[in-house]
Amino acid sequence: MSRHYSEEDLILYYYEERPRSANIQQHLDSCGQCAAAYRDLVATLKLVATPEAPDRGDQYGLEVWQRIRHQLPEQEMPWWSAWFRADRLALAGAFTVLLLAAFVAGRWWSATNAPAPTVGSFAVLAPSPAAANDDSRQRILLTSVADHLDRSERVLTDFMNAPAGGDLSAEQRWAEDLVVTSRLYRQDAVQSGEASVALVLDDLERSLLEIVHTPSRATAARLDEIRRRIDAASLLFKVRVLGNELRQREDPQGSRPRTLATQTS
Amino acid sequence: MDATEVAAVLARARLGDSEAFRTLVERHSRRAFQLAYRMTGNEQDAEDVVQESFIRAYRQLSRFEARAHFSTWLHRIVANCSVDLIRSRRARYDHTSTDDLGSMDQPEADVPNPERLAASAQIERKVAAAMSDLSPLERAAFTLRHYEGRSIAEIGRTLGLGTSATKHSVFRAVRKLRAALEPLRGES
Repeated sequence: MSRHYSEEDLILYYYEERPRSANIQQHLDSCGQCAAAYRDLVATLKLVATPEAPDRGDQYGLEVWQRIRHQLPEQEMPWWSAWFRADRLALAGAFTVLLLAAFVAGRWWSATNAPAPTVGSFAVLAPSPAAANDDSRQRILLTSVADHLDRSERVLTDFMNAPAGGDLSAEQRWAEDLVVTSRLYRQDAVQSGEASVALVLDDLERSLLEIVHTPSRATAARLDEIRRRIDAASLLFKVRVLGNELRQREDPQGSRPRTLATQTS
Repeated sequence: MDATEVAAVLARARLGDSEAFRTLVERHSRRAFQLAYRMTGNEQDAEDVVQESFIRAYRQLSRFEARAHFSTWLHRIVANCSVDLIRSRRARYDHTSTDDLGSMDQPEADVPNPERLAASAQIERKVAAAMSDLSPLERAAFTLRHYEGRSIAEIGRTLGLGTSATKHSVFRAVRKLRAALEPLRGES
């Protein structure tokens, strides 16, 4: 009979980390001592069941982002990025401007007899079909976001006026739906270059999430805490102002009354 | 999100686009939490690890190689953040786990569950206590091998250890767990 296997060999065999495992299997079939040691090891390791992690909902990623977004540090830059440092770029830029200025000055001196440009050369071009398509897409986005802001304003107003200890579950369900929509609109706004819209939607998302995660019968202190944060961010004001601004932009002829200034942040 | 979109998001994130990084956070947080929970055995610690891991990942994005998988890279960061957190907790609350073990040996007269359920809960607690008695590296290596099914070679790469050191961390962990759980074997 070959030598007995050590505990370490058996651990590696259990985790399928050993080459020539067929040899061990053969040995275990014929050696009672090693077979008993292996059974003993397996029995212990079977007790160590994989712990079930507490469930985290679909919004968890968003919650993590909201917690870390203001803590993000400077990114470490790769070594070659030193060549693109702002001061070096500024120096290179200044040098380029000097060269261009010299070139333009030379052209100016040699072309004093050339005719002056006509007004026609600055004519405004008609918008291309692609631009028109972008424009209509933009309008749809503006309308949808304005509607979304109206609904959010109503939820926020209801929440701000809810009595302490009352049941908030209806507002929370509503807020939960709005979080999902808000995120989609924010992504659209970012892609369309609407930075100020994205910013307000981002703030809105955070407050809606807080409402969703408040106990449905929150204490007065907890409600006050959230309301203070919403107040401090002037969220209701921003939502209202942005909603009005978007309505104004989707209807530039002014057929709807404009109630507030266009400042959003 | 297909492979091309993932690559585009990663490229933008590497250029410092925080919106792109947000997409990565939203996509990978749940998996990161599961790993962190298994590594630390504690919900609050796992939350801390997830946050710290993403902050670390953001800072080090320039080191991430585009041809690698972001999830694999993040997995490594989460594992190492967990080890760091366990180390720092150890330094602050040295030997608290020994007290926990002691208290767990007390008979529980007021457990109302059926006998089998109680036994299973007792095993769970005993395993948790035994796990908390492992050194940070032993715990990390064992968790990655036993719970996550990672190979010794992968664990070595994740924790920055050689193959031999990784194996020995797993061996020591198994040995300690066997010693701690021996009394339960007859009961299970």
